[in-house]
Amino acid sequence: MNFYLFIDLVVAGLVTGGIYAVVALGLNLQYGLMRIMNIAHGEFLMLGAYLTYTMVKLTGLSPLWFIPPMMVALFLLGLLLHRLIFRRLAATSPTIEAMESRSLIVGFGLMFIAQNAAQLTWGGGMSGQPYLDEAVKFGEVTVAANRLLVLVVVAAASLALVLVLKKTLLGKAVRGMLQAPLGAMLVGIDTRRLHPACFGLGLALAGLAGGLLSMVYELTPAMGEPYTISALIVITLGGLGNIPGAIAGAVLLGLVETFGMYYTSPSLKILISYGVLVGVLLLRPKGLFAR
Amino acid sequence: MKQGAIFLVAALLLAALPVLDSPFVQSMALTCLMYAGLAVSWSMFSGPTRYLSLATSAFFGLGAYCTAWGLAKLPWPLVIMAGGLAAMLFALLIGLVVLKLRGAYFAVITYGLGELVKHSITHVEKTYAGTVGRVMTETPSSNVVYWTVLIIALLAVFTYVHFGRSRYGHALRGIGMDEERAATLGVNPMRVKLLGFCLSAWFAGALGAAMAVRWTYIEPNTVFNPFIVFQTVLISMVGGPLTVGGPLIGALVFSLLSEFLRLSLPYLYMILLGLLLIVSVLYLPEGIAGHDWRALWARFGRKRFGREP
Repeated sequence: MNFYLFIDLVVAGLVTGGIYAVVALGLNLQYGLMRIMNIAHGEFLMLGAYLTYTMVKLTGLSPLWFIPPMMVALFLLGLLLHRLIFRRLAATSPTIEAMESRSLIVGFGLMFIAQNAAQLTWGGGMSGQPYLDEAVKFGEVTVAANRLLVLVVVAAASLALVLVLKKTLLGKAVRGMLQAPLGAMLVGIDTRRLHPACFGLGLALAGLAGGLLSMVYELTPAMGEPYTISALIVITLGGLGNIPGAIAGAVLLGLVETFGMYYTSPSLKILISYGVLVGVLLLRPKGLFAR
Repeated sequence: MKQGAIFLVAALLLAALPVLDSPFVQSMALTCLMYAGLAVSWSMFSGPTRYLSLATSAFFGLGAYCTAWGLAKLPWPLVIMAGGLAAMLFALLIGLVVLKLRGAYFAVITYGLGELVKHSITHVEKTYAGTVGRVMTETPSSNVVYWTVLIIALLAVFTYVHFGRSRYGHALRGIGMDEERAATLGVNPMRVKLLGFCLSAWFAGALGAAMAVRWTYIEPNTVFNPFIVFQTVLISMVGGPLTVGGPLIGALVFSLLSEFLRLSLPYLYMILLGLLLIVSVLYLPEGIAGHDWRALWARFGRKRFGREP
């Protein structure tokens, strides 16, 4: 195999994996903390992408200006959804399994609403808004500038999240809730305020991924679905509530998909993802890094 | 006894429907019967066990593809049987492993397996048959299709009631309440779950096989459409999966709703469906038929008249 081709594939795999990491971290927080199996997670990525695209179209400014306010908007939407739906769901579910199944159905409902509302608002598929699509050369290796930007931003976001979780008191509280929900409550961690915040943070992270993707790919109302599946694979690979594990799983999945697609055919991408999901769930349901 | 009589009268009335000679009414009744059959068969397993199966689309699609492959070679009743058996075999194969998982993981993996089958068939057809879709010629008349679907739906209702009353039905409910306790009391959970899962798969596969000829041209995206399982789950959940009346009420309501809204306002219809799904999960966890309306009525009456009812 050609060395430069290899580097190309590695970079492409890292970009995909980075996006997966950001999406999966949000879902991991939601599922790990609150047992919300949010199957509509990818739909918030789609919303982020469309919102960014619309603002760029309206103002002609760089998409980077609009990503932070869009993330704030999605965070607030997350607080609202938690208040309206998931708080009641958690209060009325008799068991953890009931909570998981019921939140899954609610997720499907949110998915219908978001996809079809997007279809009504923005119409079917449309071309994206390519931003910074000139090539950057590193010796013999060329990489599109926007992909490089995506890679830098997702790496920074994942690193920031890991640092917050590891180094701050707030992060310690969240890790405590992940490891022992009841124990966390007993030592005085305010789950009633942190749960909605973490749910909103998940949405904001999905929105970040969407905003970045709007610079690279074209947008469709159903664009979020494959990312939900990838995020599910990643949290299964990395282990529930395991943040570094999820990042490693995301990068691994991104590389496997990119190389798998190169050696077989792009039409097999979905087949590969679902194959990995089913395989992991059957063989290592506790995650690759479980001891 | 009384319920049996109602069942028989309803069956006879429905069987006589082609006398009206109204294609519109008959097509609507067909959709309604298909969803009634799907929802009842889904509730057969997922109602008592509380295992949220999302494999219905896969069963349905496998049945439909059996028809596409076998219609020219086999007589019609055998085609239907084969469709059901293919779905049953698939359920047995995946059930052996996926029935060990619980909660959301079970739901996600049944959904994932369905998508896996869909994309595999797409790939196989593309590579070996050259096309993705298949055209069916020499399809049976629409009356035959209608009666076939009616018989399968009636059979599903009959099986739901009798299976539910049998020792296996009790065992399934026991597993739904507490799987470990059921196992301690001498139930073999895996065997009982497999039986229920395969039984419910047969009906979905047979319905897929019967409905396939309605489209004359089928492709993986139409017969493995995730919409089929969502609508089925919605109908059962809103109606109430723990009673046989629940899915039947749900099927009637949603077939009418979809007939009038889905074609004229497809996106709005889907948004409405999503809202209903969320509202029913939040406020009617046991469904319309399972909800304690009398208690609600009593509370309402007490408030209104200021006295104990």
